[in-house]
Amino acid sequence: MAGTVIGEGLTIEGDISGDEEIVIHGNLRGRLTTSDAVTVGGTAVVGADITGASLSVAGQVTGDVTASERVDIQAGGRLVGDIKAARFTIADGASFKGNVDMEV
Amino acid sequence: MSEASVIGAGTVVSGHVRGQGSLEILGRVEGDVSVTGNVVIGPEGRVRGNVSGAELTISGQVQGDLRGTLAVLLEPGARVAGDISGPRVGIAPGALARGHVQTDGEPAPAAARAPSAARVATPIARPVIPPARVAPTPAAPPVRAVAPTPAAPPVRAVAPTPAAPPVRVAPTPAAPPVRAVAPTPAAPPVRAVAPTPAAPPARVAPPVPARSEQKAPLPPPPKLAPTRPDAPRAAPTPSQTEFTPVRPIKPEARRPPPPVVPVISKGTKAKKKKSHD
Repeated sequence: MAGTVIGEGLTIEGDISGDEEIVIHGNLRGRLTTSDAVTVGGTAVVGADITGASLSVAGQVTGDVTASERVDIQAGGRLVGDIKAARFTIADGASFKGNVDMEV
Repeated sequence: MSEASVIGAGTVVSGHVRGQGSLEILGRVEGDVSVTGNVVIGPEGRVRGNVSGAELTISGQVQGDLRGTLAVLLEPGARVAGDISGPRVGIAPGALARGHVQTDGEPAPAAARAPSAARVATPIARPVIPPARVAPTPAAPPVRAVAPTPAAPPVRAVAPTPAAPPVRVAPTPAAPPVRAVAPTPAAPPVRAVAPTPAAPPARVAPPVPARSEQKAPLPPPPKLAPTRPDAPRAAPTPSQTEFTPVRPIKPEARRPPPPVVPVISKGTKAKKKKSHD
């Protein structure tokens, strides 16, 4: 079970910081910082800069992403923003717009 | 799963949290929380902001108002500083609450739980306030008595510390006997309580010279004279001169100003000037 779960109907306006896994199914506007994995579910709408160990996007994300390990955009996922990560994958059917920097 | 939201123990949210579904807060939230479902704040959970939901179950700390459309329950270990309102409010023993508590809505369940909540809440709230009220009154005199001592070393030799306790003891017992009882019965207890320690400092008037030194170093001797006449003036009965140390205890704090004002040096100067003229 993830440390932090933002449910589908929930909206957070502000910053989230922590040292555990964060799963988002709801809405987030602000900034997200963690030292663990971040998962953006299919129903999530995130307008935030995200910093974490890894990021998996199945929903919509608008913002810059910095991941120490990897970033994966799942099919149906949508990411608009610059990505800075050692590994970066875009699944077939995903949409992405932004710069990529894999020299971490 | 998607409906239940959790803010983990290692997570800090600084901002507003609102929406549908239930929410469990095990970490920290710096902002308002408003959801349609239930809210559970774990033992390690902290919220600085208003919390509203259907049923609030608090085991952690909240600085803000709690509003539950169904109920607000404070579990043992909960610490809440803020107003609490809801049709049902429960405050378990071991929970701390400070603020206004109001139960509204259905009268039947509210009446059953309201008194228990009020009983639990009031004893917690009262002890907090009384110490604040009680503390200043006893603390004030010793502070006044202690403050002057550092300025005047000879006063320490007189025994400033013993003077402080009699000040505390004397006022409460001395005031009723002097007023209600005749002077004769009142005299012995007063002498027994305060005479030895209180009398010398009262005559010497340690606080007066100390303050006078702070304001005007030279004139302490002339000021001592006015204080003595003032004391008998305040206490009309001549035989109660020994009572004067008891009553003056309070006036001493108020009197310092008058002696300073008359500093008599002004009067004497005027007289001298007139005499010279």
